[in-house]
Amino acid sequence: MKNKKLLSILLILIVGIILYFGYNTFLAPKGVEGLKEVTIQIIINSQNINETFTYKSDQEFLYELMKEKEDALKASFEETSLGNMVTGLMGYTANPASEYFHILINNEDSMTGVDEIPLADKDKYILELREF
Amino acid sequence: MKIRDIVLIGLFSAIVTGGKLALSVIPNVEIVTLLFMIYTLSLGFRRSILISIVFVTTETFLYGFSTWILGYYILWPLLIFATANISKKFNSEYIYATIAGIFGLTFGIYFSIVESFFYGWAYGLTYWVRGIPWDIVHGTTNYIITLTLIKPLTSILTNQMKRFEQV
Repeated sequence: MKNKKLLSILLILIVGIILYFGYNTFLAPKGVEGLKEVTIQIIINSQNINETFTYKSDQEFLYELMKEKEDALKASFEETSLGNMVTGLMGYTANPASEYFHILINNEDSMTGVDEIPLADKDKYILELREF
Repeated sequence: MKIRDIVLIGLFSAIVTGGKLALSVIPNVEIVTLLFMIYTLSLGFRRSILISIVFVTTETFLYGFSTWILGYYILWPLLIFATANISKKFNSEYIYATIAGIFGLTFGIYFSIVESFFYGWAYGLTYWVRGIPWDIVHGTTNYIITLTLIKPLTSILTNQMKRFEQV
């Protein structure tokens, strides 16, 4: 009986691992290798901040690039169970009770956080402070 | 409703909230599913539904009101309903573990449907897809936790309830 339970647990763990690898292979967002030129625009209207940065980078995801340019962007992040969140830019920290940094990719709302936004050549990423 | 029911509902909903908070440091590993299944088997359908409503309402005090709360008000009673119905035909820990596993694995789908009503289907689909790795963790751990604990815990609670009813 105990062996049957252990076998069942082992089986479900294997199924879980297969599903996880299946997700990573077929569904997870993939970065693009190679040098890319991208633009990051930061808009904080309440502070009259509207800065644009253009970078050439080998990084694959927006978070990696922002982390690399952390000093220039004066960026801060918070690690949450759902991934990294942008909490501050240009030295301004968003009030977690009422503000957040909204991300637009080529002027379209991003559906994911900075961790899962693959960098693509000539793309423009706008991070705008908004209220909720 | 009897006074003893009010006491039981308050006590057991507090246990669910405490259990959830205790495991909140490990993303998507929870004992809420297991507890609601045990409650359904030991305390009955009606009490369990009321416990789930108190639990979800308590969640709004802790985390504020958001769209996911609507999903909670539907999902936990749905799990209780499924457990109550299945227990009439089967009494196997493997069946309960399978229900818990499927429940965890499909958890994101239910919420993506609720989110879709507010933010559109594109958002709902993205919401579900990006949460799939966590759903896999949820389903797998739900299966293991339920398989190992449902039988002993249900037995203890059922015996305690018999003693409680005699007082």
